[in-house]
Amino acid sequence: MLGPRDTAARLGSVSSGNALELRGVTKMFGALAAISDITMSVRPGERRAVLGSNGAGKTTLFNCVTGDFLPTSGTIRLFGEDVTAFPAYERIRRGLRRTYQISLLFGGLTVADNVYLACRGVSRGRFSLLRPRRGDVLVARAAELIEAVHLTAWRETLVANLSYGQQRQLEIALALAGAPRFILFDEPAAGLSPTERGELVSILTGLPGHIGFIIIEHDMDVALRVAESVTMMHNGRIFKEGTPQEIENDPEVQELYLGDGSHAHA
Amino acid sequence: MLQRFVSRHPIWTLVIAIIVAGLVWLIFAPWSEGLEDAIGRKKVFLNAVFGGITLGALYFLVAAGFTLIFGLMRNVNLAHGSLYLLGGYLGFEVSEATGSWLLAFPVVFVVVALLGLLLQHQVFRRMEGEELRQTMVTIGLSVVLADIMLWIWGGQSYTILTPDILSGPIELPVISSIRDDTGAITWFRFPAVRIAILIAAIVIGIAMWLVLNRSRLGMLIRAGVDDREMLAASGVRIQYVFLAVFAFGAGLAGMGGIVGGTFQSLTPGEDTRFLLASLVVVIVGGMGSIPGAAIGAIIIGLSEQLGLVYAPTYSVVFTFLIMAVVLAFRPQGLLGAGR
Amino acid sequence: MAVTDQPPPRTAVEPGPWNLIERVHPAWWAVAFILLVMPLLANDFWLFQVFGWTFILGMIALSMMFLAGYGGMVSLIQMTVAAMGGYMVAILGTSGVAAISQGLPWWLYIPAAVLIAAAFGTLVGALAVRTEGIYTIMITLAIASAFFYFTRQNYGLFNGYSGFNLVVPPMLFGVDWRGAVPFYYLTLGCAVIAYAAVVYVSRSPFGLALQGVRDNPRRMAALGYSVNAHRIAAYTFASVIAAVGGILLVWQNAQISPGTAGIPAVIDILVIAVVGGLKRPIGPFIGALIYVVLRTFSPDVLLAFGLSGERFKLVIGIGFLLIVFFSPDGVLGLWEKWQNRKRHDPLKGDR
Repeated sequence: MLGPRDTAARLGSVSSGNALELRGVTKMFGALAAISDITMSVRPGERRAVLGSNGAGKTTLFNCVTGDFLPTSGTIRLFGEDVTAFPAYERIRRGLRRTYQISLLFGGLTVADNVYLACRGVSRGRFSLLRPRRGDVLVARAAELIEAVHLTAWRETLVANLSYGQQRQLEIALALAGAPRFILFDEPAAGLSPTERGELVSILTGLPGHIGFIIIEHDMDVALRVAESVTMMHNGRIFKEGTPQEIENDPEVQELYLGDGSHAHA
Repeated sequence: MLQRFVSRHPIWTLVIAIIVAGLVWLIFAPWSEGLEDAIGRKKVFLNAVFGGITLGALYFLVAAGFTLIFGLMRNVNLAHGSLYLLGGYLGFEVSEATGSWLLAFPVVFVVVALLGLLLQHQVFRRMEGEELRQTMVTIGLSVVLADIMLWIWGGQSYTILTPDILSGPIELPVISSIRDDTGAITWFRFPAVRIAILIAAIVIGIAMWLVLNRSRLGMLIRAGVDDREMLAASGVRIQYVFLAVFAFGAGLAGMGGIVGGTFQSLTPGEDTRFLLASLVVVIVGGMGSIPGAAIGAIIIGLSEQLGLVYAPTYSVVFTFLIMAVVLAFRPQGLLGAGR
Repeated sequence: MAVTDQPPPRTAVEPGPWNLIERVHPAWWAVAFILLVMPLLANDFWLFQVFGWTFILGMIALSMMFLAGYGGMVSLIQMTVAAMGGYMVAILGTSGVAAISQGLPWWLYIPAAVLIAAAFGTLVGALAVRTEGIYTIMITLAIASAFFYFTRQNYGLFNGYSGFNLVVPPMLFGVDWRGAVPFYYLTLGCAVIAYAAVVYVSRSPFGLALQGVRDNPRRMAALGYSVNAHRIAAYTFASVIAAVGGILLVWQNAQISPGTAGIPAVIDILVIAVVGGLKRPIGPFIGALIYVVLRTFSPDVLLAFGLSGERFKLVIGIGFLLIVFFSPDGVLGLWEKWQNRKRHDPLKGDR
């Protein structure tokens, strides 16, 4: 699961064609344009960060991509297929996953049960009344995912008893269930301590190479450490795109975002 | 709001307009012999329609409090029927003791409202946010209240006597029948007390609507129905609003008991019946909506009475069917806020 | 940090038969033994009236607990579903009302009754799941009331106010199943099967998914589950249990009438489930035992205090209120709090 981070080599080995492609996507709420004319593309396996201050439209963008919102205009293509009008579960079946700003977990169940449910969700037998047998492949897969997010020691713990940071890690495990091809991480570092942020970065960079993702973050530090390319949004529009180094050193970006001290080194 | 509905659902508006027009015509126009042969005498129909509307008025009085309490405090008050019956019994005692029917109303309102105040302050406030637990408490209360009432008043049925000024029928400007030979018109006669209650219910309903939509208290209540946490966070002493609403709703139900005791009778089991009626009216009309409660009450009242007259075995089924249809196609109720 | 050794995943593994004996707490074995030999200890009244009724009411309350505890839906339709099952047995089998009863053989009418009642429960579920949780109580209560009024008015099928009498179990294997001892074992067996089914299913993919739907329906939808389909299926499963309970009930009383599923009876099931505890399947049976004992013996106690025996309703109502006030998780909740207090060691700083 630990792959070399040589971008060109890795991206060259996966299929061509964009994983995610947005063209002219606009979402209006009444007279307010939450996002306007968003055009961007992300290649398979690419790690993109979408940054911007509050109200820039990042979460609205995510909600349009996942199918929670229907865009007012524009098209969204997932692996070449036009999914603009598809309901959420259709996009999930096509390999799209998402984590949430506020962890949506199953508090009354254990970590293992949570991940098992996520694995079951995209496979058959959801209504099965029979308990899984010893050596069931989904149970094993769930164990792998729990290992990937460093929660193996807490497998039998009730989620309600986990710390906040651990719950955020579990969020990621749920997104990794099934065979995701593209994940949207919605502020995964929110509320984490510096140590926990380090854990998060290591989990994200350790993901399999063929899984691309977009990460929304306030914390530029985390975002710039895991991303290969950055899209900056401002007032619902794309403001700037480039590599992390370019963005970090861009004077306009610095004036808008870095000047207010939000860029803090751990 | 009406214009929005009309512009968005033109077909439904047409259907409803046709039904209402048809009903109005049936009520006001004299019936031909053929019509009377087909569906029975007009007087029977008029009795059923007016009976249904006035029954709806009674249901509205009881359901309005229920829907407010749920709409604002998310408290499914399943003891509401017990408050109705308690109000009725107390009203009986007051009118027997003082000989005044009218005096029973304020006395019962105050007493039952105080009980509601006590419940909200001492019991429900401690379970803020635990909707299920609050509902369980109301169920327990209904069991306890029902048995206490059974203990005190026993199993026989009580009727509150109509005051003299309202007793007897009143003539309404609605044609009941026309004699073929002389052309003399018989006007429809209907118990005066029921018309009085209908008028009172309309007045109360309008007053409630005015308070909700035009007063500051009403604004607070509507804001609280929309988003309770926001209202509390904005510094409003929301507990006082809750107390006022619960007390008012309870008092209204109690007064409804006096009305029901006059129209019909008071027996153990009436509490369940009016609780069920409130539930259905509010499911059909929409939670937290006073106009919804009014519309739901009229629909249910009419369906019950018309069903009783024209298809007695199945009148219950009609009510249930209406409820099931609303649940299937518009689960939040006819005028309920979409969820 | 991560632990390197990997114990085999224990959570969702089917238990093998040989480790059953070690896994089950000794207290359970003691209870099982006592239940099995109860006919040697208790008289006919206790076997038939107290335990029989406990198992029956426990099953119906279990179906409510399944929906509430695992599904997060408090449904008041379970008693009605049970009554539907009982009515169908009377209508399709034999009873004292020859004009309506069809006289079908037992191997037809029993499965048919369960099927019809389960279908009814599923239909109610389909109506109830499309709204928020708190509405479920209202809607199911309204439908239960409608059923009561309908059976009271309808004479063609449900024989109105009088209902059906002389409804008895079929004479199978030469045994009169309504005799005290056979009926005790019949109800005990059904209750055990129902309990075991609920415990087993609760950890199956369906059961886990149901609990997921309870905890976070939005996430379940995002994971690809159909939230409403799972909830409706839960109603179906629960209705089967309630239907069997209803059939046993009509056999116990040898009659069924609208009052069997009247609002007081519907609320009694809720009281039983809540008092026992909605979190674990044993709760409903504990609640049922308490209810049956109170119901059977409190009139005598009340008379001793000079009150009318009819005031047992008041006693039960007050008891219910006390439980909801002080221990919303019921008797099980009290038990758990007591256990935690024993286990908690302030010196070690355990949680």
